[in-house]
Amino acid sequence: MDAKYISHIELHEVAHSFVMNEEEVLLFNDLNLLLSRGSAYAITGPSGAGKSSLLMLMSGLEQPSQGRVSASFEGQHTGMQDVREHIGFIFQQFHLLPELSALANVALPLKLRGVKDAEAKAKSWLAKVGLGHRLTHKPKQLSGGEQQRVAIARALVFEPGFIFADEPTGNLDAKSAADVADILFSCCKENGAGLVLVTHSDALAARAEHVFRLANGACHVEK
Amino acid sequence: MLRNNLALAWHFFTQERTQAHYRYLRWTQALLMVFIVTLSQTSHTIQAYLADNLANLLGADIVLSQQSALNDSQTSALDALTQKRAITKSVITTLTHNGQWQRAQLKAVGHHYPMQGELLTANALNDTGRVTLSGPENGEIWLEARLLAGLGLNVGDTLILAGTPLIVTKVLLHEPDRLMEGHNVDMRAMVSLSQLEMLNFSSELLTHRYLFEASNSQIKQVLAWQKTHLPAAQVFHKTGAHPLALFWKRTENFLGLTSIILFFMAAIAIEKLTHIHIQKEQYFTAVCMSLGASKYAGLQVSLCKWALNMLFLMPPVLAFSAGCHWLLVDWLSSTFTAISWHWNMGLGISSLLSITLIFLLFQAPVWIGLKHSSVTQLVNNTQGKVSYGVTLICAIAVMAVVAMSYSDNGLLTTMVLAALLISIVMIIAISWGALTVAEKATKRLSGLFPFVMFMMKQRLVNKSTQILGVGLCAFLLLFTLMLMKDLGDTLSAYQREQNGNLLVTQATAEQMQDVKQWAENHGAEVRQQKPFTYAKLIRVNGQHLSDYATQPSESMSTMAREIRLHWTDDVPANNRVVSGAWWQQPDADWQQISVEQEVMLDLGLDVGDTLTFYIGQHAVDFTISASHVYRAGGGSITFWVQMPVAVLDHISAPHYSMASIELADTQFGLLNELWQRHPTLRMVSLQEMTARFDDTLAMVTQVISGFSILIILLSVIVILATIHAVEGTEKKKNSIIMSFGFSKTTCLQLNLIEWLVTGAVAATGAIAGTYIAGLLIYQSQFSLPYQPDFLWLAGTLLLIMASVTAVGTMASRKSLNSSIRELMTEQ
Repeated sequence: MDAKYISHIELHEVAHSFVMNEEEVLLFNDLNLLLSRGSAYAITGPSGAGKSSLLMLMSGLEQPSQGRVSASFEGQHTGMQDVREHIGFIFQQFHLLPELSALANVALPLKLRGVKDAEAKAKSWLAKVGLGHRLTHKPKQLSGGEQQRVAIARALVFEPGFIFADEPTGNLDAKSAADVADILFSCCKENGAGLVLVTHSDALAARAEHVFRLANGACHVEK
Repeated sequence: MLRNNLALAWHFFTQERTQAHYRYLRWTQALLMVFIVTLSQTSHTIQAYLADNLANLLGADIVLSQQSALNDSQTSALDALTQKRAITKSVITTLTHNGQWQRAQLKAVGHHYPMQGELLTANALNDTGRVTLSGPENGEIWLEARLLAGLGLNVGDTLILAGTPLIVTKVLLHEPDRLMEGHNVDMRAMVSLSQLEMLNFSSELLTHRYLFEASNSQIKQVLAWQKTHLPAAQVFHKTGAHPLALFWKRTENFLGLTSIILFFMAAIAIEKLTHIHIQKEQYFTAVCMSLGASKYAGLQVSLCKWALNMLFLMPPVLAFSAGCHWLLVDWLSSTFTAISWHWNMGLGISSLLSITLIFLLFQAPVWIGLKHSSVTQLVNNTQGKVSYGVTLICAIAVMAVVAMSYSDNGLLTTMVLAALLISIVMIIAISWGALTVAEKATKRLSGLFPFVMFMMKQRLVNKSTQILGVGLCAFLLLFTLMLMKDLGDTLSAYQREQNGNLLVTQATAEQMQDVKQWAENHGAEVRQQKPFTYAKLIRVNGQHLSDYATQPSESMSTMAREIRLHWTDDVPANNRVVSGAWWQQPDADWQQISVEQEVMLDLGLDVGDTLTFYIGQHAVDFTISASHVYRAGGGSITFWVQMPVAVLDHISAPHYSMASIELADTQFGLLNELWQRHPTLRMVSLQEMTARFDDTLAMVTQVISGFSILIILLSVIVILATIHAVEGTEKKKNSIIMSFGFSKTTCLQLNLIEWLVTGAVAATGAIAGTYIAGLLIYQSQFSLPYQPDFLWLAGTLLLIMASVTAVGTMASRKSLNSSIRELMTEQ
């Protein structure tokens, strides 16, 4: 399957809830959303509103309590499990493998896929995120902002159709956060990947083309 | 303060005891404790049994034993020092009847026998025994039940011995001086002293025993007299040690020594767990410090927690050890009649305290690591580290303590430690080499296998310890199992190839001549013949042997008896000189000797030392001019001590021969004619040897099987501990891989490949280590050439790989149960 053919992810009448202390807590209800490849989306809202849960549903990692999440593949609707290998993730804690160099971390998804020139591609992606001079550095030797840039390169190196980012700048200072956001948006744009990010930062959310605000069990499309 | 900390320690102890790493730590500790406590209790029970045995089965207060008879002045001197005397003479003979033959120990007793204790006989094979007040009359012979059955005789039948007809009048059930025979299982026969004289056995073949009644002070006087007047005589007395006591002490020491390996494996498991442990302890101490407490408080809580853990571990360990001890005693009861289960609580506690001290050493790196705790750690969110140096020093200290406690055989200790060290170096080298080469070779490639190689190489240090743990377990298991299998195979194959199938262990010149003639007449081939005389080592560098060496060892226990001394001017074909120089002009300097290397090491001898041997009633000084070792390929008859032919001009002692003969199966029946002419001719067939060996092997197999179970249990713990130590990072790695769009199946495949590679590298290292250990230990300890079965080794390699992969993958299933959500929720 080629990632080029995933054009949309669609949420159809999705509701999600969980049980806590034997009581059902509803996160959101009757959600209908369409995510298009090449666009950027931000999910905002207070803590506990269900932002990360919505991200998990959109990426197909979890099943909704009600409704359906599907992807459009070559013009056909298909289950999210069929497009899993074309989805990338970026985390707040970066989650680089500590024993690997920046280059090895980025080359990882390609090596696993059996790509022959994995290291050359990884080098070019590290250069794109401005770390062409830090190839052999281990994560410990990099700043938080640099680590997140390596994580962005790693998520995009295998050219996924969509990138899901959970608080990608949550652990960074303002300057680093702005730099990382620039790189993230520009790289996704350049690669034609859809970007869905969860954030508390209004500034970051404002850079997205669409903003979904979750509050009190409802989702408002603010932009 | 202490009270508060103790309460805190109790709280954390109860909270943490169910956590996985505490559980693995407890299993490791419990396993080793049970092993040591059971070993010490069983050994103590055997020693107590032997002491009791000595008091009840000596048949006298003091017994003197030697080849020659006492002369009149010696008899008078001993009579003056004691209250009563009885004499027995014994000889190894082969009894024949109706084409059947059986080797037996024939004992002749006089009128004063039995002196102490009960002589039990029966009138028929299945009759109950009754006390008999004196030995057989002239013309009578008493045989033990096995001998009667073996020869197809009944009470009342006539047996021809050395041409003399003797009537079997009783079944011999029990002799009160049975202890004197030690652990030999020769069948028994009894005649009167005067009957033995009539049989005209050569006096040099007889062993003379003098049984005395004496008080404790008289025993001391006899011992002092014997040291100066009869230094070569063997003496046993009620106030001394059992002849088997040293043998069992040595058995305990050997098992103790092998526990070094168990402790080493435990060290690996504990080292892995220490990484998790120290993080928790440092974190706790840092939290305490952030709340205003001192670093010392954290240390105190940690110490109390550890002490509580040990305290709670002791009762189940004692109970389980008592059970194991009971099972062992029950098993030993086939060897030691009427041995009973006896628990020594004092010894149990002291063993537990000693091993607790060892665990204290193992735990030390954690406490030493606490000094690095600081509040900064909480701010920076950094994790605690364990110093590899400290861990290594502690592990080496533990090994040294265990080795020193149990070592009694310098060579064996060196061999075990050398084999262990070589295996460790080899496994590390193979791990490093294999992973480096594989990673380099697959660097340009992509796919699952290159990725695993890449990751394993990146985690080389951690992976090496894991491989080392698994590899050592495999090495141990392989070595013990291989020892069990190969010892049997090699021995029988080797004997068939080299020795012929009949070994003449002692023949006089006349007997040997007759044997050769017999062989020629029947077309049999005498393959080897070597002359020897009997000699007893009495002094080393002028010091009496018993004062010189106090540690039990194989060599020491043999040297305490008469040994066979071989003469030759050339280095025998099956020997190699390893130090010193073989005699070149022995006529000028005949007082030279060559001693086997292991004996030299065990007794702490050097070239140039003086040994005094008692040969044919005379003490002769020899200087050690060379040391030799056994070399395969030139026949198996070898001697521990050898001297130049020129010595024969200066000593007067009976000469004997050892020889090996190849017989056809049908010719064994013809041996009867030889034994009828020469009842004292000592010959043993391969079949008999194999039967004896099989009995020993069966016992060794059971011991090794028990030991293997321990090793397997520890291996599993090592694998679990190493997996548990990296479980967090493995789980994270799997989640990250899944975040690249891969499924759990990919993670499982990666895991399988990783364990297969781990198993392969570990097994290769283990097999290489086993091969070297085999070459070292087989040769030195069993005098056997090592001929490994490579097909068997390859099969084992596959089996180890399969087992390690299965156990590893099973144990890793928790880390495979990862998800991307966990990465998102991690703060």
